Amino acid sequence: MTAAVPTRPSGFLAALLRNRKFVAGAGIFLLIAVVALVGSLTVDPRLRGAGRFPPRQPPGTAAILGTDTLGRSIAVQMTQAVPNSLQVGLIAALIGTLLGAAIGFISGYFSGIVDALLRILIDVFLSVPSLLFLILIAALVRGVGVRTMALIIGIFAWPSPARQVRAQILSLKERPFVEVARLSGMSGIEIVFRELAPHMLQWLGANFVNAFIAAILAESGLSILGLGPQREMTLGMLIYWALNYGAVLQNLWWWWGTPVVTLILLFLSLYLIHIGLDEVSNPRLQGR
Amino acid sequence: MGYLRYVLQRTVILIATVAISITLVFFVPRLVPGNPLGAVFLKLAAMGGSAGAPELIEEYNRIFGLDQSLWHQYLSFMRELLRGNLGYSISSFPSHVIDILRPALPWTIGLLTVTTLVSWVLGSVIGAAVGWRGEKSRALQALVPVALVLYTIPYYILAIILIFTLAFRWPIFPLSGAYSVGLRPALTWEFAVDVLRHATLPALSIILVSLGWWFLSMRSLITTLKGEDYILYAEARGLPESRILWRYAFRNALLPQATGLAISLGHIVGGALITEVIFAFPGLGWLIYNSITSLDFPVIQGAVLLIIVSVALANFAIDILYPLVDPRIRYEHARRG
Repeated sequence: MTAAVPTRPSGFLAALLRNRKFVAGAGIFLLIAVVALVGSLTVDPRLRGAGRFPPRQPPGTAAILGTDTLGRSIAVQMTQAVPNSLQVGLIAALIGTLLGAAIGFISGYFSGIVDALLRILIDVFLSVPSLLFLILIAALVRGVGVRTMALIIGIFAWPSPARQVRAQILSLKERPFVEVARLSGMSGIEIVFRELAPHMLQWLGANFVNAFIAAILAESGLSILGLGPQREMTLGMLIYWALNYGAVLQNLWWWWGTPVVTLILLFLSLYLIHIGLDEVSNPRLQGR
Repeated sequence: MGYLRYVLQRTVILIATVAISITLVFFVPRLVPGNPLGAVFLKLAAMGGSAGAPELIEEYNRIFGLDQSLWHQYLSFMRELLRGNLGYSISSFPSHVIDILRPALPWTIGLLTVTTLVSWVLGSVIGAAVGWRGEKSRALQALVPVALVLYTIPYYILAIILIFTLAFRWPIFPLSGAYSVGLRPALTWEFAVDVLRHATLPALSIILVSLGWWFLSMRSLITTLKGEDYILYAEARGLPESRILWRYAFRNALLPQATGLAISLGHIVGGALITEVIFAFPGLGWLIYNSITSLDFPVIQGAVLLIIVSVALANFAIDILYPLVDPRIRYEHARRG
């Protein structure tokens, strides 16, 4: 057991790179992200407007991924949509994981009334569909931008990491090395940062990926409901416009199909990364 | 003894969930920039109907109680909620929000109950069978990646693909709605068949995705249980394999599977609401979508509250009921709590 848990960062990384699921997931994810980012930096911004391409073109020589009813290239829109969606995921997951880690730390480290209250709070927010609070807020703050949306989603992304971190802290607290640290005169804060935090990093990695998935999911859901960033392009907004202009019934399959396939590939790659991280930081899961 | 204490603990969570949600639903709109009435009057002004608008705003503020202190508003909000009064709709003003929600509710409840039960039962049974015999059969093992891909897809994304394939390219099922235009809801054979045909694709998109998840989780539970002492002992005694699987392993795995259902209910509901939008299925999700378009904030707020309370109650019911299926859980929870 002790031999199987790599504590050095380099050992952890090497183990990750040996994990086939992680490598496959990270490969797909990087491919999508890099293509979109390079595209967003190299495509001429003037090509983004309406009427730059012939409308309703299937994928071909005029536009690689076809065009919509307003004569905009789907590929050009994707170079904005993918980076924006990834940005929502990144910001929201950062906020959610950090907030969750802090709440989980406090709840697990202090026992008694603080823990009891925070535990109820975590349980409550885990069971309530957070999408509903997001709908409520986004319906009020009309015309949100990508950043605001990420912020709102992030504020509701903490319960799941909080619960996991709390459980981890509780189990770590009972391990002998924490007792040794306490006996050798370390203060509470010192124990948290010198002894407990390094153990938590691997767990936070998996939690971060989870929050990332949830955030992109929330973005596409809110956008399809009509609460997305109306003036910016995200994967969710691309689907929203395609549905609103009847792309499915006009057989413009490339219009809705491109963001749909990209979202599926993104989710699949992120889940593979998550499973890989889980297997490496928790070797008992391997081969399941 | 242990069970009573456990019920008490879950009751505290239920009350806390409802109280915190109501408080959030009340305060968030008042903390966030943006005024539901302001948005409506901007729209009115844009249509050229701004004469007498200040008086109108004042009147609306009085009716909606917005001219009183925050604390006063909160208390009257709570009092009205207890009476089942969710306020007035803005876009169809004299109507009560509750009267607008009522016709949408059965569609959402029907869709959610059927899809959740079907996918949970089917996924658990297939997952158990594959987890038990999986290693011996390559065909069964091939189900695992299929399930993994299915469960990573959001319901509403699968919904778009299903509409395109099974309603547009090969028009086997209707494109949208819950029953054909011109048909009057009645308890007739014709209407029932029509509703079933319309509900097939929305239901299928939710079932296929959740099926993948329940399949994967049951399969991994059974795989772990296979090494347990009591299973090995049952095998050594020469009990028939099907009896060991369904009476020993499966029953034990049902408990964590039920907990999983309670935990993920919120996600299922959220996804199902957006799926309704894709199919124009006249439940609460479609109602929220339309209220967003017509800037009818009280209806959004009412629908959100109604759904949160329903999910909390459903969660409570699952939590309370599953220990009764297996007495073992009582002691465990008594020890943990």
